[in-house]
Formats: sequence, structure tokens, C-alpha cells
Amino acid sequence: MSFELGPHTLAIDGSGLPDRQLVGGKAWSIARMRALGLSVPPAFVVTARACTHFLDTGAVPAGLAEELARGVGWLEEASGCRFGGEERPLLVSVRSGAAISMPGMMDTVLNLGITETTEAALGRVTGDPRFARDTHRRFLELYGRIVLKGVLPELGEDASPADWRKAIEGATGQGVPADPGAQLAAAVTAVFESWNSRRARRYRQHHGIPDSLGTAVTVQAMVFGNLDERSGTGVLFSRNPLTGERAPYGEYLARAQGEDVVSGRYTPQPLSALAAQLPAVHEELLAAAATLERENGDVQDIEFTVQAGKLYLLQTRAAKRAPAAALRFAVDMVAEGGIDEATALSRVTAEQVRTLLRPRLADGAAEGARCLARGEAACQGVGVGIVVTNTDEAERRALAGEAVVLARATTSPDDVHGMIVCRAVVTEQGGATSHAAVVSRALGVACVVGCGEGTLAALEGRVVTVDGASGCLYDGALPVVAPDENAEPALALLTRWAEARAPLAVVAEAAEAFDLGNVDGGEDVARLPELLAGKTTVRGGAIASDEGVKAAVAAGVRTIVATPRLPVLLAALEATRP
Amino acid sequence: MNDMHLALHGVALKKHANAAAVAAAAGLELERADALLKEAAAGARLAEAQGAYVLTPAGRMILDNQYSRYYGALRADAAFVAAYARFERVNLELKQIVTDWQMLDLGGQKVRNDHSNADYDAAVLDRLGDLHERFAPILTQLIEGLPRLAIHRRKLEHALEEAEAGRIEWISDAKRESYHTVWFEMHEDLLRVLGRTREE
Repeated sequence: MSFELGPHTLAIDGSGLPDRQLVGGKAWSIARMRALGLSVPPAFVVTARACTHFLDTGAVPAGLAEELARGVGWLEEASGCRFGGEERPLLVSVRSGAAISMPGMMDTVLNLGITETTEAALGRVTGDPRFARDTHRRFLELYGRIVLKGVLPELGEDASPADWRKAIEGATGQGVPADPGAQLAAAVTAVFESWNSRRARRYRQHHGIPDSLGTAVTVQAMVFGNLDERSGTGVLFSRNPLTGERAPYGEYLARAQGEDVVSGRYTPQPLSALAAQLPAVHEELLAAAATLERENGDVQDIEFTVQAGKLYLLQTRAAKRAPAAALRFAVDMVAEGGIDEATALSRVTAEQVRTLLRPRLADGAAEGARCLARGEAACQGVGVGIVVTNTDEAERRALAGEAVVLARATTSPDDVHGMIVCRAVVTEQGGATSHAAVVSRALGVACVVGCGEGTLAALEGRVVTVDGASGCLYDGALPVVAPDENAEPALALLTRWAEARAPLAVVAEAAEAFDLGNVDGGEDVARLPELLAGKTTVRGGAIASDEGVKAAVAAGVRTIVATPRLPVLLAALEATRP
Repeated sequence: MNDMHLALHGVALKKHANAAAVAAAAGLELERADALLKEAAAGARLAEAQGAYVLTPAGRMILDNQYSRYYGALRADAAFVAAYARFERVNLELKQIVTDWQMLDLGGQKVRNDHSNADYDAAVLDRLGDLHERFAPILTQLIEGLPRLAIHRRKLEHALEEAEAGRIEWISDAKRESYHTVWFEMHEDLLRVLGRTREE
């Protein structure tokens, strides 16, 4: 058991696993990493008991202030830094954490404990006063947005902290406490209050979670990846999340904080940079990744920071992955004996397989092809067609059967009718969050944005191949191939596993089948229960969607006729899971 | 401000839309909208094809003139303009949230989000719900200046509720009044009202 600092707080020292209901998922995960012998910044947790007291009485338990002070004392002891200190200041993160994660709970506040005094101290310790000032600004921004729930004006980088505080008070009607202890108390109360936010209440109601559980609050020492030359921050995937290759993959940014990576202001280096600079840390990191992957039974995505040559793991979770990686992780981990076939099948979705089977440029097709324009790749996929710059004309020609690439300076809702029917969208201006990018991704249309002013008008009437992966517009129609689900060994293997477990058969051809495509309402999933009653072999119509497959399983259909087969098998399996 | 202006404005927001969609966007009764659209088409302000309307160049010019005429007072209203400035701040956040909804960052590489990771999706949807709540007072200020903007609030709430109930296509699907579709339309509406142009 982690040791008690008082009736409502626990120090997480890794001496055992606390009750997950009491400390919440995040603190539990920290305790588990510590129990595995991994290096995690010290933390303590205010348990859900304090929250239920607050919910029942409208006030925090008597003595919680002293318990928080003891918690901070334990962090000071473990980190060698002082909260509000003038030499080595301790800053903390504050996050909510219920046993079950839910929306509407307070987001994480970072860098709590920074004041005029500690900013100056942090500037001296890191030798980087600008960083210290920026940390102060980021704290105020988060505190204003998350604790005070405001939309703040931009806190200009040249203004002073006093100006920032004034701006926040103007926008939210409340001030940010100057004292670190008061900041902490206010943040803890804000977490408790978030338990009863509109979204959290609705979520609990919808999922039958009792309102009385309450949430814990995790308070963790911040570590600094920008302390010195032997510091940095990064992300590690225990295997490659793009290809699925069994090799660690990640990025590292020396002398930086996590926010620097997220902000996109700096370009991180591959993990080899860490291996070259701090080989022992690199080795420890890979060993930790292997442990966490084995313990959690899935590929991990780990955020870490190195402070003065010492590694700290900040967070680990099941890795996000591209479709190719999802397939390879599943197949490889079965071969390695890490998971069973049923688990492997649950980790590849029908949509991922459809993505893998989408047409793509033939191998080597782009070699020697002329790149007419280049921009930011905004939506993957390949689109071949004739360039049209007028949206109405593009729509007319596309509806008449021509393959059209819509090229615009920018797009707006006026252009959506043309974007829906074209093969690709390209723009001269705008980036990854522009209208063209967002709408193309929603439509699944290949898209390249920001090719530069005046680059596209001259291409009117030319046939081009738009590669939404590389961001290139190639001259002419390059060869495009559609992958075959039977030719790819990993897909074929997964198909065999799925066939052995699916609640119905999926065949490519059948002599006789009930064709939903020829029936009134056959495209409407809601009509399927009635239309499919008593049918054994079906094809077409709404069966093309996962929801349609689910309805077919529910209706007792025995055989679906469709190609490719694997997505339908996976959707049918998914329909049998709770 | 008259109903004909609202009908033309509705067509500007909902290009290639039928009378029902224009009526909904402009806050007009369907019959009234239908009659106005037919009248405007007869007067060459609109072009009609298979029941869907677009502005003619003349119609667009007339409409732009009407904007500056009808909204002169609003453009000079400091509270409204300040609320709009705050909207622009939130707009940057919204665009980032929708992009994060659609794309995963895999160690620096962006790939399409195929929605196979429920935790990731839940976290992004949570950010959208949080933004919606923080934006609410700003939208209320905008509606105080121009009551017909309330239609966007109803549509945003509807899209968010659908998405939170698990129908995730209500976040960014371009073919329905998803959160992003309505948000963008609201942005266009505000730009027209204030006589500004969008910055990419």
C-alpha cells in the first residue's frame, strides 16, 4: 500500500498498488509503474473520499489544507525542490482522475506553483529566463482556461505577468491566486466541482455510473527537460506505429519541455539522437518500454522526460497506430505468444482493413514523374483527374462522368458540392486545419493544401495525379493499383482466424442471394430487421456498412456475399462483442 | 432588415440548397421562403436548377450592399465586435480540435484517424465539449447583438449531443450539419455581417 499522509491523501511511493476506486486511473497507473521499478516523478493523490465529502457538504474536509501541505512536503523531499522556493522551485501538475474516465472532468493544469519569485529562480536554475517567463505564461493560460473556465485574450509574449493576470481577471471576473498553496487548493476544488459538470453528469447517467463515486486528484512533481545539456523530452512507441515493425520508434528534443514538441515550434530528432547523447538513458528507456508492453499486453506509446541525465516516464498507454501497424502488431504478437487470436482480431477494425485495401500509386510509379506543384499533404489517398478551377464546372463535369481534380485558391462552404464529387482537392493557401483539409478528410478525398499562390491556375485542363500522402501533384495519370486481400499474407492469416470465429460466413460469390440493392429501402440500416427476416444469404445495399453487417448478424443471416471479405468478417465479429 | 434579405442571405450561406434548407438557415417559414426564392429567381437575383438556388452576380452585389446597409450599427457596436474577436480566438482552437479528430500524430507523422482508438476519440470529443461550454457566453453576447444567430446555437448543441451519444459523424462530416459544418457556416455568417474576409 502506498502510505497515508492523512485520511484523504496518499503518497504514491510504489510500495504497493492502491485501490483504483479510491485513487483513480491516473494515480493507479503511476503507482503501477513505480511498483514495476520504473522511474516516475513523485506524486501524491487526494482520494475520491475527499471529493464525496465535498459533494455531500459543499466544503472540502477539515484538515485537507494540512494534508495538501504534507503531500507537498513529501514531493519536496522526494524531488529536492521547494514549492514556492527561491532556489530550486518545485512546480506540480494537477489532474483529475476518476476510476472510470469520463468527459467533462477538469483537464490537467501544468506548472502550478510558479510565481514572480519562482519564475526568477527557475530562470536562474535553467539559465533560461525566457523559458521561465514562458512557463509562467503557460501556467496562467491553463489556469485561466481550465480552473476559471474562460476564453482568454492572447497573452502577448512581451507583456509582464502582472499584465497577464489583469487580462485573465478581466476575461473571467476572477483572479489567479499569487500564493502557490492557494493555487493548489483552488485547483483541487475545481477538480471536485468538475465531477458535477453537465457533461460528466450526462455521461454517468447514460452509462449507469453512480454520482456518489467522486473523483481523485493527482498532484505530481514536474520535471524539466530543459534543465541542462543532459535534459530533454520525447515520445517512444515500443514498436513502429506506422509500419508495425518490431523496432522502437520515437522522437526526442534535447533541452525542451513536452509543450515545445506539441507546439510544433521545434522539430524533434529521431530517437537515435538520444542514443548518441545519453546511451544509458536510451537503454533504460527501451527496457522500460519492453516491460510496459509485456505487462500491458499491447504496444505502448510512452511520454518521457530526461532531467539532468535521469529518465522519468510521464505517461504510458496503448499506442495509437496506423492501419498497417495495427495489422502487423496483431499478427506478430500472436506469433510471439503475447496475445491469442481472438485478441488479435479485436485489435484490427473493418475500417483499417478497408484503408489498407484502398487504391494506391503502383510501386515505382512516382519515380521519374514530374512534380507540377507541391504542398502540405492533408488527406491521404490518390486522385487522378483533369484540373478544374471553377467549382460549379467541376461539379457539372464530375456528375457527367469525368474524373476531376478541383483546384482552388482556398475553399469555403461554397465549394463543398464540388468537393463531394471530385477525385482530389488541391489549394494554393492554407494549412492542415484549413477548410479544404478538414472537409476533404471528412469526405475521404485525397487533398493537398498550401501549394503556394499562383501555382494552380496554370494547370487548368491538365491531367494530374494527386498524391495525398506525399503532397505532390504529378504530371499525367500515373498507374494506380488496388491491393488484393488474398495476396497479402497477414490479411489472409487474419481472414482464416476470423472465419473460424465469425457468426456468419462471408463469400465472394454465390449462385443465389437476396440482393438488398434491388429492394426499396435496402440502403437503410433501420429497415434491415424487417427486410432480412427469414433470409439466409444476402448481398448489397446497407450490408456495405458495419452497422448493416451488425443488423444482418442480429437478423440471423447465415451468409453474406461481399468483397473484400475481411472487413465484413471483422464487422460481424465486432457485432458479437458486448 | 426584411425577409427578402434573409432569404438571399440564406442562399449565400447554403449554396445549392433547396427552399427547405434556405428557410432553416434564414429562420423563415418554408412557404414564405419558397415564395421569396421564386420571386428573387424571377428578378434574376438567383439562378435555380432542380429546386436548388445560387446567387447570380447581380444578386451577390445586391446582397453585399444590403449587408453594409443593414449591419452598419452592428459593425459599430463595440460589444459585438469584441465578442467577435473572442470568437476568432476560439475558432483557432476549434480548427485544431477538428484536425486532431481527423488526424493522429504518430511520433511526428500525421495519419488519418480511423477511430479505432476509443480513448483517443473520447479525449478529443471531451475537448470539443469543453470548448463548446467556454464558447457559450461569447455566443450569447453575439446573439444579444443579432438575435437570428441563435439558430447556430441550436444546431451546434444538436451536433454536439449527437456526437456525445456516440454518433461521431456529427463532429466533422461535411454532408450533414455536423459541428464543423455549422461552425463554419456561423463563421461565414459573421464575416458577412461584419463585412470581413476569412483568413486561412
